[in-house]
Amino acid sequence: MTRVNANRVMLVIAIVLAALYLFPLYWMYVTSLKTNSSIFAVPPEFLPGEPQWENYATIWDVANIPRFIWNSLVIATGVTVITGIVGAGAAYVLARYRNGWIDAALFTVLMLQVLPPSLMVTPIFVGFAWIGLLDFPRFAAILAISAKTMPFFVILCRAAFMTIPRELEEAALVDGNSRAGAFFMIVLPLARNGILISALLVFMQGFGEYVYSASIIADNRLQPASIGMTNFLQPNVVNWNAIMAFAATYVTPILAAFVLLQRQIVNGLTAGALK
Amino acid sequence: MTHQIELENVEKHYGSFHALKTVNLAIPKGQFVALVGPSGCGKSTLLRSIAGLERITSGDLRIEGERVNDLPPRKRDLAMVFQSYALYPHMSVQDNLTYALRLKGVSKAERAKKAEEVAAIIGLENLLDRRPKALSGGQRQRVAMGRAIIRNPRAFLFDEPLSNLDAGLRVRMRKEVRALHDRLGATSVYVTHDQIEAMTMADHVVVMRLGVIEQQGAPLELYERPANRFVAGFIGSPAMNFVPGTMADDGASVVLDLEGAPTLPTAIKAEPGRRVDVGLRPEHLTIGAPGRAGSATVEIAAVESTGSSCFLFADGDPELIITTDGSTNVKAGDQVGLTITPERIHLFDPESEMALRSGE
Repeated sequence: MTRVNANRVMLVIAIVLAALYLFPLYWMYVTSLKTNSSIFAVPPEFLPGEPQWENYATIWDVANIPRFIWNSLVIATGVTVITGIVGAGAAYVLARYRNGWIDAALFTVLMLQVLPPSLMVTPIFVGFAWIGLLDFPRFAAILAISAKTMPFFVILCRAAFMTIPRELEEAALVDGNSRAGAFFMIVLPLARNGILISALLVFMQGFGEYVYSASIIADNRLQPASIGMTNFLQPNVVNWNAIMAFAATYVTPILAAFVLLQRQIVNGLTAGALK
Repeated sequence: MTHQIELENVEKHYGSFHALKTVNLAIPKGQFVALVGPSGCGKSTLLRSIAGLERITSGDLRIEGERVNDLPPRKRDLAMVFQSYALYPHMSVQDNLTYALRLKGVSKAERAKKAEEVAAIIGLENLLDRRPKALSGGQRQRVAMGRAIIRNPRAFLFDEPLSNLDAGLRVRMRKEVRALHDRLGATSVYVTHDQIEAMTMADHVVVMRLGVIEQQGAPLELYERPANRFVAGFIGSPAMNFVPGTMADDGASVVLDLEGAPTLPTAIKAEPGRRVDVGLRPEHLTIGAPGRAGSATVEIAAVESTGSSCFLFADGDPELIITTDGSTNVKAGDQVGLTITPERIHLFDPESEMALRSGE
């Protein structure tokens, strides 16, 4: 087989795989524009005959979309701020010191990454109830989700800090900086890209989070969009086009951000991996 | 007299590793001191301890008479030039130069004026707006120097600042750094592993090994009167040859273990039959016809000519290096006679490796 043909085969495989991956997304958009009857049409309609744009307008009012999205934004922002401040500090220390304790801490951080939220949610719920945090459900959810995103953020940020030579900090110390000054004026600006990309990924995780929010936030008015969507799932009726319209409204901004920033995100993720 | 920098019985431990052992060093104002030694000898640790980047475990460290053991680097008012230059990549050359002034709260206009002045001294007038990434190695090196001199510090600390430059530039910068030191009337501590750099630049050379100062003094003093075998071998290029020998019956001359058994008068008195190591600098050996009385005979195994001089490698145990002028016609395989000037030999005790001198 020639090189050109091999490349063509690879391209076809890539397209097929991409189509497989993207099909659910496509199906979400298409379904959101269908009527209730055409959703269950056999054979399935791959393009909606008459796009039902009013589906979007209806759910916007009926489902309280602005309120749910606002709650998601509050939670995602809170998670990003807490993870960013605490995580950047932790990552810096883990990047700068080397001894047995630091290795143990790193290992623990990696282990925490492995634990699934559905396992952690019960002890967290009981603990939060005990200290009265459940009276502030959104804040409690933010704390719980931050604990989940923290290891991921710390590992990424540590890689960003490791790429900054120690001598730069030492030069700043000799030039008249304190430790904190050198961190804020030299290290942080240089690690900025890595931190921002990691923070963006954390924000997206917080924006789409379900398990902790569902368990901790009982009050419908404080729930994020990920939970609001499930209100359309009722025992007897499932309003598929409304759910899909809701989902499309919810994920399109995230998708747009990802597409626009994907180059930077990939660079940020591999920073420190190759050098 | 107060010294600019003074170290008294300084010790440094990293866990169980003893990095500096009872270091005593006094640096008068205006002196250029070189710390030299093989890698891992503690010279960088010593410099970083002076800078405050490492805490000393015990002993006293004084700058202008003030004890600074517990002061953080920013309160010591020293400037340091790093081997990697450590320029801040996210700042322009001007911001790099004036960073220390900015931290001191100097006004923006004043900083710009100072940057111009320093740029003129180091020859970077047109590059003030560039980022370090857009500079050549030599230019970066100058920025690093400029960043140090703009502060008018109590002393300059250099950590192998020239080792990343190519050979030609290194020789030129050697002269420039020394000229700058003299013009500013500065006090400088310069770490290098290159003994030629130390010998050519410094007023005072400190030779270190395994955390210990082996000897310190003026460059020529170290060359002419090395205190021990290590210093003798480290200072001078190519390195000194060491040949075992035995004190003769008169107790004042030494018989070398070389073919022809040359006997040389020495300045010491020792019991006959005592074994000694005799240090012979390659440049103090002269070659002639083999077999003359009082000379040793060796066979030349290899010849390296640099044009200006010629290194002859003589076979045997130990191998000898002889430096001659570049126009020698000796070839590998030749037998030559070696004449040794008795005044230029160095004697060492084979056990303690200390130099043996008259009256000791």
